[in-house]
Amino acid sequence: MMTLVAKGLSVSARLAGQTVTVLRDLDFAIEPGKILGLVGESGAGKSMIGRVLARSLPSGFVVSGGSLAFSAADGKVRDLVAMDGADLARLLGDRIAFIPQEPLTALNPLLTVRAQFDEHLARLGVPAGDRIARMIDALTQVRLSAPQSLVERYPFQLSGGMCQRVLIAMAFASNPALVVADEPTTALDVSTQATIVQIMRGLQRDHATAMLFITHDLRLAARVCDEIAVLYAGEVVERGPARIISQDPQHPYTRALQAANPPLRGPLTRLVTLPDQMPGLSALASLQGCRFAPRCPTRDASCETASPELRLVAPGHWVCCAPACSGSRPAVPPITRRSAEASGSEPILVVDTVAKHYPGKRDWMGRRGQGVDAVKAASLSVRPGEFVGIVGESGSGKSTLAKLIMGLEAPTAGRILIDGHDVTAPSSATRSIRLGTLQMVFQDPQSALNPRRPVERLVTQTMEAARSGASDAERLARATALLAETGLPPELINRYPAQLSGGQKQRVNIARALCVTPRLLVADEIVSGLDVSVQAQILNLLLDLRTERGIGLVFISHDLAVVRYLCTRMLVMHQGVVVEEGETDAIFARPQHPYTRALLAAAPPDELDSPWPPAPVQETLDATA
Amino acid sequence: MRLSPRAKAAWRRCLTNPRVVTGGVIIGLMAVVAVLAPWLAPHDPQEQDLLATLLPPMWLAGGEARFPFGTDTLGRCIASRLMYGARIALYVAVVAATGAMILGTLLAIVAAYFGGWVDWLISRAIEVWMAFPPVVLALILLVGMGAGVNKVILAIIVIDWTRFCRVIRSEALVVMVRDYIAAAKLAGFSHRQIMLKEMLPAVLPLVITMMSIEMGIAVIVEAIMSFVGLSVEPDVPAWGVMIADARQTMHQAPWGVVLPVGAIFLAVLAFNLLGDGLRRALDTRLVLGRAEAA
Ligand SMILES: Nc1ncnc2c1ncn2[C@@H]1O[C@H](COP(=O)(O)OP(=O)(O)OP(=O)(O)O)[C@@H](O)[C@H]1O
Ligand code: SF4
Ligand SMILES: [Mg+2]
Repeated sequence: MMTLVAKGLSVSARLAGQTVTVLRDLDFAIEPGKILGLVGESGAGKSMIGRVLARSLPSGFVVSGGSLAFSAADGKVRDLVAMDGADLARLLGDRIAFIPQEPLTALNPLLTVRAQFDEHLARLGVPAGDRIARMIDALTQVRLSAPQSLVERYPFQLSGGMCQRVLIAMAFASNPALVVADEPTTALDVSTQATIVQIMRGLQRDHATAMLFITHDLRLAARVCDEIAVLYAGEVVERGPARIISQDPQHPYTRALQAANPPLRGPLTRLVTLPDQMPGLSALASLQGCRFAPRCPTRDASCETASPELRLVAPGHWVCCAPACSGSRPAVPPITRRSAEASGSEPILVVDTVAKHYPGKRDWMGRRGQGVDAVKAASLSVRPGEFVGIVGESGSGKSTLAKLIMGLEAPTAGRILIDGHDVTAPSSATRSIRLGTLQMVFQDPQSALNPRRPVERLVTQTMEAARSGASDAERLARATALLAETGLPPELINRYPAQLSGGQKQRVNIARALCVTPRLLVADEIVSGLDVSVQAQILNLLLDLRTERGIGLVFISHDLAVVRYLCTRMLVMHQGVVVEEGETDAIFARPQHPYTRALLAAAPPDELDSPWPPAPVQETLDATA
Repeated sequence: MRLSPRAKAAWRRCLTNPRVVTGGVIIGLMAVVAVLAPWLAPHDPQEQDLLATLLPPMWLAGGEARFPFGTDTLGRCIASRLMYGARIALYVAVVAATGAMILGTLLAIVAAYFGGWVDWLISRAIEVWMAFPPVVLALILLVGMGAGVNKVILAIIVIDWTRFCRVIRSEALVVMVRDYIAAAKLAGFSHRQIMLKEMLPAVLPLVITMMSIEMGIAVIVEAIMSFVGLSVEPDVPAWGVMIADARQTMHQAPWGVVLPVGAIFLAVLAFNLLGDGLRRALDTRLVLGRAEAA
């Protein structure tokens, strides 16, 4: 008996007068005790499926066909799409539970954990006398230590990982038949992610719960799920056992997803990228034939007219691609991470044991509250053409270090040198030294690009600064050159940020930093908000910039695989201190500091046979978290 | 001028918003009447016709077509005086609101941009300022400076810049944490450039909205001050003066009070409609409720 069976499920939306098929003919099934992974990039329609279940589709979106047959332990089969709203509301939260993406926002900040858990148990009909015992029991199952005192705390007093554990405990409290987890670990650190996944999988096995695991991360899905369905533009393009989908995918899109993920071990090859990005909702309406055709490396003429159907290629393995065009994988050259190294030359940037203490906020009397030591002791040096990675968990001080390097904040101790000049204290003199040498690419292009400036005036912003006095014609010429250099089509020049895709915005962000031809870029998490396929494009762009310009890079990221792909040297930060520094390959092969070891062990390895997460490391992480 | 799609969309929303259109049309008509008063007014506002005092408006029994809205105790044409009064009202509204806006916005952006002790000082100044009841403060100021329409304007600016400063500072603080401000610093922008080119445009919708509301407030304040004789000279036709003059004869000739009150009401209503419509159309969220949150 399957817990959930989707048959021909379709969702359509009315957009600017046309009807767009947002989800097309989805078929999938989940058995009790199994996990189905729904993998896709942003906009693929992953979350839409959870919203169909919960009947919380955005306005204008309707289920236009198909069924979702749900059967709980009582053996009754109900169609979640057709059933009465009141009956469905009784199932939700009880037989069907949800684990959300943002644990902190999912909990009410004004109520203690106990109050919220109590309310949930009351809804489930647990008698008042038993609730606290049930609560403690559930929190112990998610391995939260000292649950008695924890329940009296407020959500903001807990870390994201702890909040997520509370939410998992609440989800499993009713022993549901189905749990829907929508990107449950995306907002968390790698090491926390490992713990959460382990806890979730343990509970799900013990309770024989069926689970729908929605994620953008193919590698994580391969570790967590039994079966995977890959979604592209609202269609399942490939479905089958997790192992096969992740190791030997057949659909060109799944292959591209796999190839876009830099590996954690083994030789590095240049990432193969797809052109453009997934079509948005409004573009879908006019798309004929295979929805992947505009980006498909193996398409032929028929792909643009006929929509391919899912077909069985091996037992349990379905692929939605015309049989005529299953092309072979192209050969890719290995990347030359090392060759451009300019060893021996003088460092451009030297950061010497800097520290940053943020004093607490002033109250209205002008007195200061307690402060934070964001960076305690960090040193690094970067030579021309060198790519240096900085990894560490959220709150470890990475962004603060970037701000110190850029002179956006003044260090409370230590020195910063650029080409031997002391630029520690921000002033107009040190600003002009930095201006031509150092530029920064910000994490969130949404916030880093002034929405009121068109692309041309964004990328040439430095030319507008008081001193330069460039003419309009010079600016236009420079902007055109910068767009070409960052792989942006020239027609974007008059667009505004709101009219660009995420990947295009990040390119504009990079182009702006390149305008003054700096010798060193500081990039803070510049790919973490991007889809894998777009991330791969940006990573390759950075590598090309080094080849063409010999530019150096300080690359801040929480993603070890990405740092390994780009950087020759790396630093590991932990609670404001650089705990390890060295050649990337050496650190990956022989990590010295226990924190580095824990960090490396927490990343899911590519080989499905190596166990993950390894138990002993787990304890180290709990101790540090 | 090239407009961004955002600006274009904002324009479109403004022009299709019924409040903005209604308020804008009323204020536009008032402005035309005020500017063209010397040509439109049937009489000189000071011209007395002692044979025709306290005439009712022309559509009432006993009214005369020479005096469309009737006359006051001295036989002056109420219609003409209303038209000239609109000049005073709109002059005070525009100059006072602009002054308060410039002072308040400037200090707000400076406070948000420099932070630290600058911000602390400006914030405390606002708090101290706002602790005084505005009417008392206005009276103290006017008694100190002496009466006069420009003194009224000065008093409005000195009192009401805090209204702008408080709200715009909290909006500017939101803008300050945007990375594009940091990016402008790294691009070598001077402080002035960042404040004028990056921050001001971001708070402009809010500034415009508040301007409109402030103009309505200025109309009322001027009317009150000229009613109690602290604004214009008593022989200048301002709406407040007209009400004061017509007070004694309110029972025989209620129109002498009703008409200028109506004019004040219409002007304030129009400014408030405009402000409210702009707030919705420009999406500046809650204008007044939010300052407390920051
Ligand atoms: N302006 C500030 N005032 C006070 N505390 C701050 C400020 N900026 C950062 N902090 C604190 O300093 C610590 C380090 O923050 P930082 O932003 O450098 O971390 P991070 O490693 O970049 O994290 P993430 O991966 O989440 O971006 C955190 O505890 C943070 O709350
Ligand atoms: S059907 Fe054609 S375009 Fe679509 S994925 Fe297959 S090869 Fe590519
Ligand atoms: Mg950061």
